[in-house]
Amino acid sequence: MSNLEVSHKTNSIQQIRYVCAIAAMHSASAIPGVIPIVHCGPGCADKQFMNLAFYNGFQGGGYGGGAVVPSTNSRELDVVFGGEDRLRELIKASIKILDADLFVVLTGCISDLVGDDVGSIVREFQDQGISIVYAETGGFKGNNFTGHELVTRAIIDQYVGDYDGLKEQGSVNVWSLLPYHNTFWRGDLTEIKRILEGIGLTVNILFGQESKGVTEWKDIPKAQFNLVLSPWLGLQTAKHLEDKYGQPFLHVPIIPIGGKETSAFLRKVAHFAELDIAKAEAFIRQEEKQYYHYLEGFSDFYAEYWWGLPAKFAVIGDSGYNLALTKFLVNQLGIIPGKQIITENPPEEYREAIRKQYQTIAEDVFTDVEFEEDSYAIHQKIRQTNFGHKPPILFGTTWERDLAKELKGAIVEVGFPASYEVVLSRSYVGYRGALTLLEKIYTTTVGASA
Amino acid sequence: MKINLKTPVVESREQRLGTIIAWDGKASDLSKESAYARGNCENTCGDKARRLCEMEGPFTQGSVCSEQMVECQAGHVRNAVLIQHSPIGCGAGQVIYNSIYRNGLALRNLPVENQHVICTNLLEEDMVYGGAAKLEQSIRDAWERNHPKVIFIATSCATGIIGDDVDGIASQLEEELKIPVIPLHCEGFKSKHWSTGFDATQHGIVRQIVRKQPKRQEDLVNVINLWGSDIFTPMLAELDLRVNYVIDLATVEDLEQLSEAAATVGFCYTLSSYMAAALEQEFGVPEIKAPQPYGFAGTDAWLRELARVTNRVEKAEAYIAREHARIAPRLAELRELLKGKKGYVATGSAYAHGLIAVLRELGVEVDGSLVFHHDPVYDSQDPRQDSLVHLVDNYGDVPFFSVSNRQQHQFYGLLKRVNPDFILIRHNGLAPLASRMGIPAAPLGDEHHSLGYQGIINLGESILDILAHKKFHQDLAAHTKLPYKQWWLDQKDPFVLAKESKPGNKEERSYV
Repeated sequence: MSNLEVSHKTNSIQQIRYVCAIAAMHSASAIPGVIPIVHCGPGCADKQFMNLAFYNGFQGGGYGGGAVVPSTNSRELDVVFGGEDRLRELIKASIKILDADLFVVLTGCISDLVGDDVGSIVREFQDQGISIVYAETGGFKGNNFTGHELVTRAIIDQYVGDYDGLKEQGSVNVWSLLPYHNTFWRGDLTEIKRILEGIGLTVNILFGQESKGVTEWKDIPKAQFNLVLSPWLGLQTAKHLEDKYGQPFLHVPIIPIGGKETSAFLRKVAHFAELDIAKAEAFIRQEEKQYYHYLEGFSDFYAEYWWGLPAKFAVIGDSGYNLALTKFLVNQLGIIPGKQIITENPPEEYREAIRKQYQTIAEDVFTDVEFEEDSYAIHQKIRQTNFGHKPPILFGTTWERDLAKELKGAIVEVGFPASYEVVLSRSYVGYRGALTLLEKIYTTTVGASA
Repeated sequence: MKINLKTPVVESREQRLGTIIAWDGKASDLSKESAYARGNCENTCGDKARRLCEMEGPFTQGSVCSEQMVECQAGHVRNAVLIQHSPIGCGAGQVIYNSIYRNGLALRNLPVENQHVICTNLLEEDMVYGGAAKLEQSIRDAWERNHPKVIFIATSCATGIIGDDVDGIASQLEEELKIPVIPLHCEGFKSKHWSTGFDATQHGIVRQIVRKQPKRQEDLVNVINLWGSDIFTPMLAELDLRVNYVIDLATVEDLEQLSEAAATVGFCYTLSSYMAAALEQEFGVPEIKAPQPYGFAGTDAWLRELARVTNRVEKAEAYIAREHARIAPRLAELRELLKGKKGYVATGSAYAHGLIAVLRELGVEVDGSLVFHHDPVYDSQDPRQDSLVHLVDNYGDVPFFSVSNRQQHQFYGLLKRVNPDFILIRHNGLAPLASRMGIPAAPLGDEHHSLGYQGIINLGESILDILAHKKFHQDLAAHTKLPYKQWWLDQKDPFVLAKESKPGNKEERSYV
């Protein structure tokens, strides 16, 4: 079926790794009490949630997601005559039936192509004091990363609104992982919030069960600063907030995994936020004590396990986890990077900065990264990589299960789609997540050994 | 009513069969209102669709689209490639259908692999200038990468609106690559029910893959199914018949020989209606016109009809007698264990008729059930296939029988009305609500699980397993809040909004 040639890059995407902008309905339903309303064809909502929220760690639809989501289920006459009346009718009925603090209307291809004036319909409801916003997220307009920033901005501009009051010193808005698309976002955001609170911050985590919902969003303008904890996602939002509310932002491209990286991250944040350094250091000390206690136990295994452990790795996934894992694997475990492929199609303007992160991944380790979305090409690149004398461990997705077998290597599904992982509160970041990640990596390799 | 295979676009279910997606009442009433019961169709019916009264409300939740059904059929032919001519969002379906494909292959003891589906990834500029060049490129990529025996193309809402000439590109590339390149027109907005997607796939297969000069294979039986476990091979072997499973997990060669079989059967008329009728019409392959093979009455009649058509009557009678005797002891035990239990079926249309029959064989009470849509008639129009009448006549009425196209908000009231101990489901979206109400669901991923004689036993065992889960669901129900307002939860009639909304000339508008 496959020869080793990588053909020239085309438009084709085989085995998708991101979805379309309307999937940002998950960014709405990821906020407690918020329910999306979609204005699109009958299959769009199902497609997005069954794939992002079900066959990706089996996360579940949550309170206002999944099969709860109201949808106009557009029909031929909506294409011919426009779907504005139908949307108005659906919004009215949704308000009557559903118990939501905020509705977020998202549009699909049909509405965006026929040119429904969704803005003016939504404004009719806003004018009546209904908490509702809208974002135009037609599938051809961008992917779910772009859609996430559109939804975020819609809520900020249309719901949170203007603010010229005082800022609260020591409080932060966190913009990090893409909800649901990142299989482990719930556990990860919980850990990120925990460690930021640990050094003395008040944290608006905004998405996930640790968020206080819309009241927390209302507090966004009061925060001292915004923290963008990802290679690029959230930067647009932070820049917008800088303009809108005069809030500075700190950009940390590497989501920290493990003691070394997490402590460095916390020190950077503490310094930026001008926190009580002694208090922050006390928390870091306490966390490191626990972390290295477990790492010491692990070291017996890592040092004298008989049957061989992988020495080289490849990461195939979106830039957030890709960079974070590469940093951890190289610096904490001393595994050698074989191939890193970033798959979410980051905007061109951010790519050089991302590349630089890989080139300086450690003082003595240089690696590079490629950007590719089509799994056919990705798999060819992995096949062409020289992993040395023993099979690699792949950090990838369900699409790499067969490839791992072909290479006689191991596979850890760490990103969308992870259809053979069941994920509840599991986290792979921070201090605690790193330990879980170690358990996962080595249970995978040891578990397959005999 | 002839199936029209001349054009590349399939006629939708509502056009052909008068399909509805919202109705509430007694199963017996629905069967009376459906086309079969009318006998000679009244003048108003015309040649095509039967008109059933249908409700339409203002509130609808996300349903399913035809393109998804194309993905899960055409996308699961083993040596073919499916191209989704669409923006990347339609490609989301690659995830679920890949997982189902892999697990289906494993269940059938076939080599597990990823499915072969490519999205053309249309962007904003393509909406302006058209996506034809990208489609052509993706067809070439499919050929270069996989050397498939067939390339299917699924259209999307976006390409339907911008009007790409998918048929033209397909025929041009078909000529060049010398393999069938098959456009499947399945825009989500074109049909109110997603089962039109089944028909779209089957339409393309009959038009462009099936052998046009068939050599009859007198012991071959087409089984139109999904990914279910291989229960037909041993069952049909009793009649010296061989099985040709289509469409999922089949090879192109399996599809080519569809026209050569001695008969066509299925596990569900919703799925098999179109292709079985088309094969009979075009190639004289008889469709087995009998009740579906569920419960004793259905399975007996189905086997007898299959045996009659394939000239194997004696073998069938012996097998039927043996099977009745074989399952009797455990069936008696199961009936004892399930006494007083109440079940609720929430699945596709014809399949639900079969499952309710099996539940009644097991002595489970079924006061209510829902189907996602209702076809007043199947494509054959043969009353022997009237699965709803078969159910009502042989197993009694279902007092609360609803047509509700995966509308979770209605499901709450539907369950409250009858308070079942468990539900049977196949499709996603409803069981999570039942779970939060403390009601366990048996998800029938293997669609053959309840079929035939052994299926009665299988379902009984599964229900016992699932009743034990009740502890989980009741614990959850005590600790969860539903997203619906109390006003809605207090409504006695799940269709109240549809009844409140203005009547008028809205019968063409049905969104559910």
